[in-house]
Amino acid sequence: MKKHLLLPLVGFVVLVFSVLFYFSQSTTKNNSKDEVSSLIFETPDFYNNKLINENTMGDFYIINFFASWCKPCLAEHPLLMEMKKKDIKIIGINFRDDEENFKEWINEHGNPFEYILRDDGTIAYEMGLIGVPETFFIFNKIIQKKIQGPLFYEDVENYL
Amino acid sequence: MKMSKIIYKLILILLLIFVSAESFAGVNELSDYYKTVRCLVCEGQSIQESDTEFAINLKEQIQKKYSSGMSIEEINQELIKIYGEEISFNPPKNHILLWGTPLIVLIIIFIFIRNKIRFFRKL
Repeated sequence: MKKHLLLPLVGFVVLVFSVLFYFSQSTTKNNSKDEVSSLIFETPDFYNNKLINENTMGDFYIINFFASWCKPCLAEHPLLMEMKKKDIKIIGINFRDDEENFKEWINEHGNPFEYILRDDGTIAYEMGLIGVPETFFIFNKIIQKKIQGPLFYEDVENYL
Repeated sequence: MKMSKIIYKLILILLLIFVSAESFAGVNELSDYYKTVRCLVCEGQSIQESDTEFAINLKEQIQKKYSSGMSIEEINQELIKIYGEEISFNPPKNHILLWGTPLIVLIIIFIFIRNKIRFFRKL
């Protein structure tokens, strides 16, 4: 091999290895986020004070973070009501909200949730929440999909 | 009797100074740490500077964990585990190859150019 080709070749190999190393590092960082926070199953439901039994939730269910002060939550609300009609189980987590405002909001717009938990931000932190609304799709107890921002029909049409 | 009272008061004052200095140091340590945590919903801001719900909640959660006895390092590791490395303004130093590659490439380019110059000089 020609001597003057050797150095660029070595440089190229080092670069390829560096890029591969970088991507292998970044794909392993969020493994812990795949599981649902145990706090969800330790916090009682707001209305009936019962704990959620994950085994009765079935193979597929949804966790939706919402708040009465959040306008995009209102935009996705009719879709959640639609999902309830199709027997999709949704755990609603009321994020950092005033209790009276929350109750009024549910009374006014309807309750699409199987369970509602009130959260001071601790569950949100454990679930890696960025903002409300945020929706987690759970298959076999593992988070398979996460949607930040309001849900659209296209996001859920496969489940309806 | 009088002397012992003075000593007692002195100890009390020293204790008070120590406790307040400790708690002040804690507040300082926390606010310094907040500056290194990226607010993921605001462009280029740390949670210290931001008043978004995300930043307020994160500050509260970190404060709770700190008060419960977790160290800043432990909190930082937990935060990275939950939100990924992008949550921190201080990237981890363990990417030796990532940090070293530009330097290695530069050295290789330098040697390559030097050899090229020598090659043409011989012609």
